[in-house]
Amino acid sequence: MNLLKRFIVDSAYAVQTSKGYQKRKRFFYNLLENGENRYKKYFDTVMITLIFVSIAILIREVKHELPFHLVFFNSYVISIIFFIEYLLRFWVYGSVSQAIIKRYEYDTYLGRKFKLHKALRNILRFKLAYIFSPRAIVDLLAVLPFFHELRLLRIFILFRVFKLFRYTQSFQTMASVLATKKFEFFTLAMFAAMVVFVSSILIYVMEANNTASPIDSLYEAFYWSIVTISTVGYGDMVPLSDEGRFVAMLVIISGISVLAFTTSLFVSAFTEKLDEIREVKTIENISKINKFYIICGYQEVAREVAFSLVQKHKNLIILDEDEKRIENAKNDGFIALNYNPGSVESYEKLHVNINTQVQAVLCLMEDDVENVYTALTVRSINKDIDILSLLMNEANRKKLTYAGVNEIIYPQELVGMIVKELVGQPVAFEAIHELRSENSTINIHEIVISKRVLENYALVSELENQRYRLVLLGIYKNRYKKFYFNPLDDTLLEEGDYVLMIGNKVFLKEFETHLNKKSES
Amino acid sequence: MKNVTAFVFGFNNYATEIIDNIVTEYKQVYLFSLDKVQKEYKGKTIHVFDLDDEWNEIETLMDTEETIAFCTLEDDATNIFLTISLRASFAHLVIVSLAKDKESANKLEMAGANKVIPIVKTTADIISNMMNRPIATKVLHNILYEESDLKIAQISVQNAEKFHGEFPADIDWSRYHGIIVLSIIHEDMSKEFIYSSQTKHKALVDGDILVVTGYEADILEFEKTIGRRHYVDWGNWSW
Repeated sequence: MNLLKRFIVDSAYAVQTSKGYQKRKRFFYNLLENGENRYKKYFDTVMITLIFVSIAILIREVKHELPFHLVFFNSYVISIIFFIEYLLRFWVYGSVSQAIIKRYEYDTYLGRKFKLHKALRNILRFKLAYIFSPRAIVDLLAVLPFFHELRLLRIFILFRVFKLFRYTQSFQTMASVLATKKFEFFTLAMFAAMVVFVSSILIYVMEANNTASPIDSLYEAFYWSIVTISTVGYGDMVPLSDEGRFVAMLVIISGISVLAFTTSLFVSAFTEKLDEIREVKTIENISKINKFYIICGYQEVAREVAFSLVQKHKNLIILDEDEKRIENAKNDGFIALNYNPGSVESYEKLHVNINTQVQAVLCLMEDDVENVYTALTVRSINKDIDILSLLMNEANRKKLTYAGVNEIIYPQELVGMIVKELVGQPVAFEAIHELRSENSTINIHEIVISKRVLENYALVSELENQRYRLVLLGIYKNRYKKFYFNPLDDTLLEEGDYVLMIGNKVFLKEFETHLNKKSES
Repeated sequence: MKNVTAFVFGFNNYATEIIDNIVTEYKQVYLFSLDKVQKEYKGKTIHVFDLDDEWNEIETLMDTEETIAFCTLEDDATNIFLTISLRASFAHLVIVSLAKDKESANKLEMAGANKVIPIVKTTADIISNMMNRPIATKVLHNILYEESDLKIAQISVQNAEKFHGEFPADIDWSRYHGIIVLSIIHEDMSKEFIYSSQTKHKALVDGDILVVTGYEADILEFEKTIGRRHYVDWGNWSW
């Protein structure tokens, strides 16, 4: 291998393994192309604003003399920004280094001499594919007003309007919806073209020799046909002969048919794709939620849990195979998807990071078989996620445990325990029940001891909870995973501990503020 | 007075859980089923009953002042009918009924149930609390239901003079064997949180009930010091 080839291959490996380079490239790729990137919407907003500013300047320029700084801003600043964007898109489209390495490794594997020209041809192919893609052409044409010689061609600035398509999701959605009816639209276009073609010739033949008729040339006949078939009918050109009027009648009838057909095509295309569009939008929204619960199944318990969690300002999404139940969930105002919670594919389609975004998976179907299956599916995807499941039959408890469920809720057992406490100690039961109820004024809060709080409060005695009329029930020591009831005053607080305080909601809130406030000072 | 007899209507998973949990609390537990599913459960005969009964047979088994009835029929409409039938026949009977949803719970209350346990709501609340306050929920659950060392008890004050007129909110309860007093129920059954503004101005009197939590041995010591374990007279207990 000659020196140049060796240098190119080494450079390609260096670039490909450079963390900094790859990180930057990935950042720009996500910024420009990844709809789920958190910064993309800001980037798109800036670009859309620039496009509107540019168009506003163009419109103003039609009848007014503009100050130099505005012309400069439009011609240079905006154009340069667009040009940089164009270059960045060109850069992130495919990987040059990867193409070289791939070719090099392929040739080496087969024991051949490294053919650089083949790698370059491949690179050229995919870079040209980008350059000649409709969007890239629009991007380039939008930059053209930057070049002095082309500035007079103001029409180029209109390509900036077309750039809007790139940043506006709804345009793309509309294009994708209409694309599903390509064949129908093509048929319609053929029909309309045929009618226009035939009617243009007929009207020309019928009217051109009539000196009083405004239709004098084939171009005028064509213009008349288009205006008539579109049902616009300006009235600036009308056939005067009986034969011409007969042609007009046929074109008008055809025009109505074309219009009706077009409308029905639009409607049917949107109706058919509506659910899909909504689903895509829902998934897009889900991927933007930082923390949420996944509720599998939407039956009675799930519905109550969903309402309760939402009341506590928690985010959640509902997955259920049953269309009717999903419809109910949507009607109740929840984010719901008609996905099978027992299928790995469903979670892949969500495009979420289960580790960081999902707080817990709640298997709340009123069928143990489905809950076991769902729990196993979730556990196969992620080993650490918290899974809670309903149990409908005590005989299946072990199966749920084996499936990896962390918490099992067996309603029958709950009722039994409640009844026991209810008949034995109704007063105490009510007292605890009240503490747990969100509607009660007296409540129990778990307050986490953060580093910030710890800076000023090292001991239990320093918490001053009695000043806020709060009862310290105990401390949960995260380090030992143990609860210490009624701790002594000299108990040390540690980061990550939870203190359980009982008291009036207002005082509890004040107490939490107090812990943090004092830390600030 | 503590109820001594329990009637459980309906024979299903809920009923068996209830029976298992209350069997030690009552001298007599009678089971009734609409259908003849099985003859007995854990040595207790399952009687068959009819909703159109005049309840004559049942009447002979119970003293309504000392009996508690659990209505656990699976169908909400039938359970409501059972509750209203019992209330129509036995004005003083304590009735605890199970309901699936809130709508049925309201109807059961109207039908005369003293206490209604809405199954779906209760289950959902537990799940939601577990998500929202996992540690607090677990601790309270252990105190209330599990066989843990921590217990909750209601203690009736017998010798209030021990407190020398001190207000409950000012008393250092920890000196009483490390227990925590959560709330006070006065003689008129009004409830107060231990640190509410009223407890700052109202001294303890004999007959007040303290809801306390702590280790079992400590609660026993505390009980010896200030009073006795309190059992609620269900006849006067309103929910």
